[in-house]
Amino acid sequence: MATSDSVSQDLSLQRQSLLTWWRSGDPWIWLTSTAVAASVAAVLGLIGLLAVNGLAHFWPSQVLSIEYERFGTTTTIFGELSERESIGRYQFLEANPGYDRDLPTTVERWLIKTGNRQANPPDFRWLYAHDVIESSVPTSVVVIERTEWGDAFGHLVGIKAAGEPVEPGDLWEEFQARIERTASIREGIDELQEGSINGINYELESIRLEKRRRQLDAHHEFSDLEARESALRADYAVVENQVFDLTSELERDTASLALADGRVIDIPISTIIQAWMPNSMSIWQKLGLYFKNLWNFLTEDPREANTEGGVYPALFGTVLMVLLMSALVTPFGVIAALYLREYAKQGPLVQLIRIAVNNLAGVPSIVYGVFGLGFFVYLIGGTIDDLFFPEAKPAPTFGTPGLIWASLTLALLTVPVVIVSTEEGLTRIPREVREGSLALGATKAETIFKVVLPMASPSILTGMILAVARAAGEVAPLMLVGVVKLAPTLPIDGNFPYLHLERKFMHLGFHIYDVGFQSPNVDAARPLVFATALLLVLIIIVLNLTAITLRNRLEARYRVSVN
Amino acid sequence: MTTYDLPKISNRRKWTNTITAKVIGAGGIAVIAAIVLIMGYLFWVILPIFAPTTIEPLDNVSQLPDDVLAIGSDDSFEIVTLIRGNGDVEFRNASTFDIENAIEVSSASWRDVTPVFPTTDTYAARDVGDEIRFFRIVHQVRYINDERTLQQSITPLFLGSAYQLPPNATDFDVYRSDEDLRIVARLDDGSLLLVEFEDIDDEFELEFPDENTMPGPIGPYRTFFGPRSRFLYNVNQETGEFQLILVPSVLRPRVLQESSFAENGDAPTAVEPLLGRYSLLVGHRTGSVRQWSLSPSEVGTILKPIRTMTFGTPISALASEQRRKGFVAVDAQNNAHLAYTTSDRLLASIDLGAIPTQLVFSPRSDRLVTYQGTEIRTYAIENAHPEISWGSLWSKVWYEGYEEPVFSWQSSSADTDFEPKFSLTPLLFGTLKAAFYAMIFATPIAVAGAIYTANFMSPGMRAWVKPGIEIMAALPTVIIGFLAGLWLAPIVEDHLTSVLLCGIVLPIGMLLFATIWSRLPSRVHSACDGWFAAIAIPVLVFLTWVTLEFDQPLADLFFDGDAKAWMYEKLGLEYDQRNALIIGIAMGLAVIPTIFAISEDAIYGVPQHLVHGSLALGATRWQTLVRVVLLTASPGIFSAIMIGFGRAVGETMIVLMATGNTPIMDLNLFQGMRTFAANIAVEMPESEANSTHFRILFLTALVLFVITFMFNTLAEIVRNRLRTRYGNL
Repeated sequence: MATSDSVSQDLSLQRQSLLTWWRSGDPWIWLTSTAVAASVAAVLGLIGLLAVNGLAHFWPSQVLSIEYERFGTTTTIFGELSERESIGRYQFLEANPGYDRDLPTTVERWLIKTGNRQANPPDFRWLYAHDVIESSVPTSVVVIERTEWGDAFGHLVGIKAAGEPVEPGDLWEEFQARIERTASIREGIDELQEGSINGINYELESIRLEKRRRQLDAHHEFSDLEARESALRADYAVVENQVFDLTSELERDTASLALADGRVIDIPISTIIQAWMPNSMSIWQKLGLYFKNLWNFLTEDPREANTEGGVYPALFGTVLMVLLMSALVTPFGVIAALYLREYAKQGPLVQLIRIAVNNLAGVPSIVYGVFGLGFFVYLIGGTIDDLFFPEAKPAPTFGTPGLIWASLTLALLTVPVVIVSTEEGLTRIPREVREGSLALGATKAETIFKVVLPMASPSILTGMILAVARAAGEVAPLMLVGVVKLAPTLPIDGNFPYLHLERKFMHLGFHIYDVGFQSPNVDAARPLVFATALLLVLIIIVLNLTAITLRNRLEARYRVSVN
Repeated sequence: MTTYDLPKISNRRKWTNTITAKVIGAGGIAVIAAIVLIMGYLFWVILPIFAPTTIEPLDNVSQLPDDVLAIGSDDSFEIVTLIRGNGDVEFRNASTFDIENAIEVSSASWRDVTPVFPTTDTYAARDVGDEIRFFRIVHQVRYINDERTLQQSITPLFLGSAYQLPPNATDFDVYRSDEDLRIVARLDDGSLLLVEFEDIDDEFELEFPDENTMPGPIGPYRTFFGPRSRFLYNVNQETGEFQLILVPSVLRPRVLQESSFAENGDAPTAVEPLLGRYSLLVGHRTGSVRQWSLSPSEVGTILKPIRTMTFGTPISALASEQRRKGFVAVDAQNNAHLAYTTSDRLLASIDLGAIPTQLVFSPRSDRLVTYQGTEIRTYAIENAHPEISWGSLWSKVWYEGYEEPVFSWQSSSADTDFEPKFSLTPLLFGTLKAAFYAMIFATPIAVAGAIYTANFMSPGMRAWVKPGIEIMAALPTVIIGFLAGLWLAPIVEDHLTSVLLCGIVLPIGMLLFATIWSRLPSRVHSACDGWFAAIAIPVLVFLTWVTLEFDQPLADLFFDGDAKAWMYEKLGLEYDQRNALIIGIAMGLAVIPTIFAISEDAIYGVPQHLVHGSLALGATRWQTLVRVVLLTASPGIFSAIMIGFGRAVGETMIVLMATGNTPIMDLNLFQGMRTFAANIAVEMPESEANSTHFRILFLTALVLFVITFMFNTLAEIVRNRLRTRYGNL
């Protein structure tokens, strides 16, 4: 309201007495501004919270050596300070009944990540600041990221190869070299696993199904299949042996780590992903490690029931599902909008349909999930199984939640967005443009394809981006139609037909729900959930900002041309 | 008509034109049809719930020997098992009653046979020498050359070892669990013989029984075990007097209750336990069937009548279903009435022609077998969803084992004899409660924000705020839910006093700040006009931080140091960490952008000449706002609130993650709830396709669909009218 600005300026320029000011009602206007402030602060705060918590996770923070006394015993631990807060006296007493010393109003407590989940559980513990006797920053303490049992903290005291101690010149360098060696061996095993073994298993499964198919057709000639099968099994044995050899190579080395309490534990180097000495690293080394960790987060598979490692499969699943969905939703949404705007006779019925389409955008997403499960998965998927995959029965192929059904369900969920946006674009195109095209002798189809659609394309794109943004953030319906917490294989792999539409997949949003709420070790999982949430929010914000910018440009362009 | 000589359009172009029109027409109609299909499909799935029950006689009436002691069948009712008095078990085709197989189990004749409770395949047979032996009937499906064949066999248990009953035992019952076997026998002097074998194994002999006799009344009593062998029913079949006996071990039985099923001298005519034996069905001469259930009371567990169903003429026989809580009652005029206890429904009736001596349901309750004299008849039943009725979905139901009728949603359990509780009322209550608290939080903020943004904000800031709020709308709810459940909920719990006080401190503090601000020189004002919201952010954050920081002193001041304990002691309010307050804040955040955007639209659209007129007549800004702008825009704000409400009702992830998801009915701000949407998300993946549970979940989805669709349509109509009105003003 541009004009009211001048008005309000005029009014506020006069100095009023306090009483007049109160009577005029102006304070309430100030109060309404607080509401905007609160909303904006909430959005910024939320994103900031995600950013701080999510990004901090990858920083190699310093490891403290803390000596504390509790119930008369003194304990020394190594650990990262992961949270620091003050709690009320009553809350403290609730958790520590019978505490008899004097207390201040609030008590400070620290959440320490101590790692060493196996040797010295628990891996997260709360310490009260008043219990701490001494804390220091030992320079040589090592943090070891492992494939199992979480991180380990301690001093590196030795390396053993096949049980025999090794006496290298530089222990740390030797350690790093051996980690590197196992990493390359592990890579080799993974390659065999993902390449040959999965391929062979996939083919064996196809042979089993082919056999069953022939049986169902009362065709009992299998010799060709059996020949192929035995060849595959022979291949399998060879690969399996290679894997065995590599595995025994892998398990050769162990590292000895002295814990804070003086105990020395042996850690197989095969379980070590990387190790660093945070307290003696320079800021550049730390930055390097930080970005490496960030990269690993995006490109690695999850470990330890999704609470560690990366989110690559979830990211992959989200993107693939959204791509499939947009491939489905865009043509249908545009066609429906074209029909409603260009072909259907405008009248109360079309107006009614328009309202209905509008309202569908407000129908709860879980309802779409229920529909998708009942209609797509059980009805259509079950029918496809009956007709085309009888050999796999009773195991369902398409009659179970999967990628294609998730994409279809979300396409249905987002089709109103595309329709509404496209229609808006079509309405903006002046009648004269269409009539001009028709007057020049173009057919209606030509007018639409060569004049109307190109002019409406930015709004189609806007609709598509908004649909994608909505689909990427939607979780509730996906829980019913295809998302799983851990998919054994990606929906795209090297086995024909390469894109496996029936497979279940992982999704960033569901990952957040699953890791945050279903995992047994919430403290360990929380930073990862923050990081995942940040990733998802960033994807969605970028998509939305693109859509908003596009729309604003569009508005500016047509405001000129229409008026 | 004038004709113009236009150049002819080439065929190809003509075809393209026609085909495009056809494709777009078909595609457009298909998409719209798909949308209609959603609602149609949901209806189609839930319709069978309300389908009528049918029972029809099959025309395979057959003659059987006259010494059939018990009738059973395999799971799919393809083979009927007849246990005969001569010690044979016969397997007959269930549609033709031709003998497929017969096995001699005992060379001695049997006096009586009873199924071992709660198994469905094990029987205890007493032979003429009063020895009880146990055997299991096994039905196996085998595929031989891909042909499906059924095979039957009999496995004697405990290496064929027997328990010798005294010759004066009149009847007996057997219970077995994984480790225990218990036998109760009533002797002709009325006393009860209790026997227990511990640590039994199918492959070992029965040895070293604990035996105990307790005195009991003389008369035509029937004695049988209740649930988990801990209870024993002793019922006089003529007078209706009964004893409920607690048997923690056979050595220490204790009579819990002695009472009578008869009322006003109306003695029962038939007594039959329901599945799981938590309750007994008692038929009366008046034609009513009363359900007595084990219920907790001040004096311990007692049998209590919880439901009466009336069928007209005297009840002469009762039989209960094998896997559900339904039953059939035969009256004196030979009519069989199919009924269901939980839903209190009489489902269907049929004339049987005679009162059968044996009345057996097939395991899946799709067949009813009657045996009378030597004649066996089969009836086909279609009765997929008797558990629910409109009444049981929405009103209080007295379930087995409950003290009184309740609203309860408890759809599944590990026990097979569980009575599912499908009351939608707690879910509806939870849905509305969550939406209500969210709206209380969101509406003032969103509407006030819209007022400021539309009326007073500088265009420069508006260009930033509007997209910002749009981004807020796009935030995935899973992230809001995650933050609410894992970050906000612990903070609120630890700083409860501050959080509650924030509701008062923040408005007052901001008013105070505004007052101070208004006293500043006008130079400052004109520089910041329309940007006040931006200045308010740091103040707001600071005030919140201060309030949170002084939680403990504030708690000392107002709540004796501990808000949670204070509230529990003074107001009786229990505190859940994930509660309606968290939902209010989190879901409020999710609906603020919706309400904000639509109200802002409505307020911004108020014609300027109205505002100017009002200001020109000397009204202050606030007066103009309240009496002109808001009044004109009120339908738009109303529709914004409705759309926001629609969104709050259907929101899933936030509720799922930030409440405990317990279906309780309590308005308490500090307790959780379970909503329709979250319930679907939790239970749908585990629900068996086409089961009653599955269809009820579809029903809740349809309810959600209809609610939101109605609200949105109403809002849309209001907005359309408003648009026309703005045009006319």
